[in-house]
Amino acid sequence: MNQPPPDSYALDPSWTDLVPLPQDDGEHPLAQIAYTEEYSEAMSYLRAIMAKNEYTPRVLQVTAHIIEMNPAHYTVWLYRAKTLLSLLQSDDGAAADLGRELRFLNDLALRHQKNYQIWNHRQTVVEAMAAAPELVGQMVREEKQFTNAMFRRDGKNYHVWSYRQWLVRRFAAWAGEVEFVDGLLAADVRNNSAWNHRYFVIFGQQGEEGVGDEVVEREVRVVEDAVFIAPQNASAWNYLRGLLGKVGRPLSSVEGLCLTYAPLDNPDAITSSHALDLLADIYAGRKEERAKAIKALELLAARYDPIRANYWNYRAGIIKAAA
Amino acid sequence: MASTLLTPKHVTYIQSLDTKRDRLDYHLTEHLRLSGIYWGLTSLHLLNHPTALPRSETIAFVKSCYHPSSGGLGASPGHDPHLLYTLSGIQVLATINALDEIDCDKVVEYVSKLQNPDGSFSGDEWGEVDSRFVYCALNTLSLLGRLDDAPSVSVEGAVGFVLRCLNADGGFGMAPGAESHAGQIFTCVGALKIAGVFEKSLSEDQVNLLGDWLCERQLPNGGLNGRPEKLEDVCYSWWVLSSMAMIGRLHWIDREKLVDFILSCQDEENGGIADRKGNVADVFHTVFGLAGLSLLGYEGLKEVDPVYCMPKEVTDKIVWNHRKTPTSQSL
Ligand SMILES: [Zn+2]
Repeated sequence: MNQPPPDSYALDPSWTDLVPLPQDDGEHPLAQIAYTEEYSEAMSYLRAIMAKNEYTPRVLQVTAHIIEMNPAHYTVWLYRAKTLLSLLQSDDGAAADLGRELRFLNDLALRHQKNYQIWNHRQTVVEAMAAAPELVGQMVREEKQFTNAMFRRDGKNYHVWSYRQWLVRRFAAWAGEVEFVDGLLAADVRNNSAWNHRYFVIFGQQGEEGVGDEVVEREVRVVEDAVFIAPQNASAWNYLRGLLGKVGRPLSSVEGLCLTYAPLDNPDAITSSHALDLLADIYAGRKEERAKAIKALELLAARYDPIRANYWNYRAGIIKAAA
Repeated sequence: MASTLLTPKHVTYIQSLDTKRDRLDYHLTEHLRLSGIYWGLTSLHLLNHPTALPRSETIAFVKSCYHPSSGGLGASPGHDPHLLYTLSGIQVLATINALDEIDCDKVVEYVSKLQNPDGSFSGDEWGEVDSRFVYCALNTLSLLGRLDDAPSVSVEGAVGFVLRCLNADGGFGMAPGAESHAGQIFTCVGALKIAGVFEKSLSEDQVNLLGDWLCERQLPNGGLNGRPEKLEDVCYSWWVLSSMAMIGRLHWIDREKLVDFILSCQDEENGGIADRKGNVADVFHTVFGLAGLSLLGYEGLKEVDPVYCMPKEVTDKIVWNHRKTPTSQSL
């Protein structure tokens, strides 16, 4: 861990060479700053260090102290990152222990779920670690493990997801990602972030070669299983629509599945507005079945999704105009 | 629950924000102060109290955040420059007609240097990439009237990056492949609108799919969320709503219910608007609540520009009126 902060910077021999720089409150003489002494003292010493452009191990100590109190202070993070990179280049390289830095970040990330500076900094640290290719495999495994721990607390954390996707793409670490998504969906089949990652992995991994039929069929089965558990799950139906569109299969290939959850001839038995929505698109594409499309949209507007009646009526209007 | 807009309370609330310097909160939010000024100032303009913050002090604060060496602005004096705060500072100066107070050429230079070879923009010299920053960059340049002649900026490249962030569900994410998110949609659609290429970049079907995703964000209580299966929130209400306005699909949501939801999030005692009912108000949710109400045509509010989240009369004067094809007409 980082060296703990001194009880008082002013009294600690490793800091007394600095003249602390208090906040310049400019044209606001009224300002009576009574906010905690601890925060203001640490900030004054950091200002003094920054004014000297000093990049020494004690920067890590004082920035850790401030970040602990205010982890969103981006300027403090940037100075810490600059210092780490500068120490790595210097004779004092050992002072920039990147593994220790990641442990510092783990602890903070778990306590500050909404903070994104932590993840930007993490990217900088991991890039620096990647300079040693022989360590990359282990590092990526550990990074995945840590993001998994974050997802156990919140499976939809946007910052963690963007970091995970950066990691996977940056190090071509596609292996195991589908299984990882399977696990998340088993825990919460409505997790839209997990469905999004599924799409990212299935198509990101394949590059230009495209996805084979057996993969498409497997993915359709995954959706079938998911909507069986939760028919009114927008994420699964959106995934299905995206998947079919991407591989160029017609929506009508899943007409049977949609009818299971939206039997148009028995409106009382409809359990999914999303299936109804897909059916409307399927039938709108067939001249002789436009009446069915309009019926589906009318059911949505009147009964299954009335808050968006204007939208459903708009779509019905397009079909009527085309007829 | 308040059923009308508590204008005088909101004005007092915003004026009081800068008087709490003895509180720790005030100092712990220093890293976004300049954006706070933009949120407060825009709120006051929308509330028809444009002079409630002293103009000269506002200008002095913006200037104190300016870094003459790089041309960027930080969140507060002594904070590093960043695109987010550079945009906020320019928005503030544009709103109070004071763009001549700083060296705009230098700001253009700062923004230009942050573009990456793939067309994206970094938020600062450290390279954090996010589709939001494309919006910040194009927005800043357009307010400065320099979108077409900023040295070394490729608007085409920026547009290309934004379009790579488009997802199969119709929305946009933070980076290519990242989950659709209402905040990112606002910035991506806004960037395309500012670049003047939205109409030719997305097909009618794509626009409808995006509109479908957006209007699906409205929950039975009238509020809008930012992603599927998330809670409603006043700020997401704005991002969804402004995006719908930009693509001409505002009428797809239930207006009355959303108005009631935003009004219910007001702090009836001290003014300000919270993320949702009963929570503590803050200036961030206050401006987005007011801007949302303005877009919904709520009486007594100034018209807001959905692309810029600034008073429409300001953006008309400095941006749209100079366009050969007035993009704002389609809003
Ligand atoms: Zn919010």
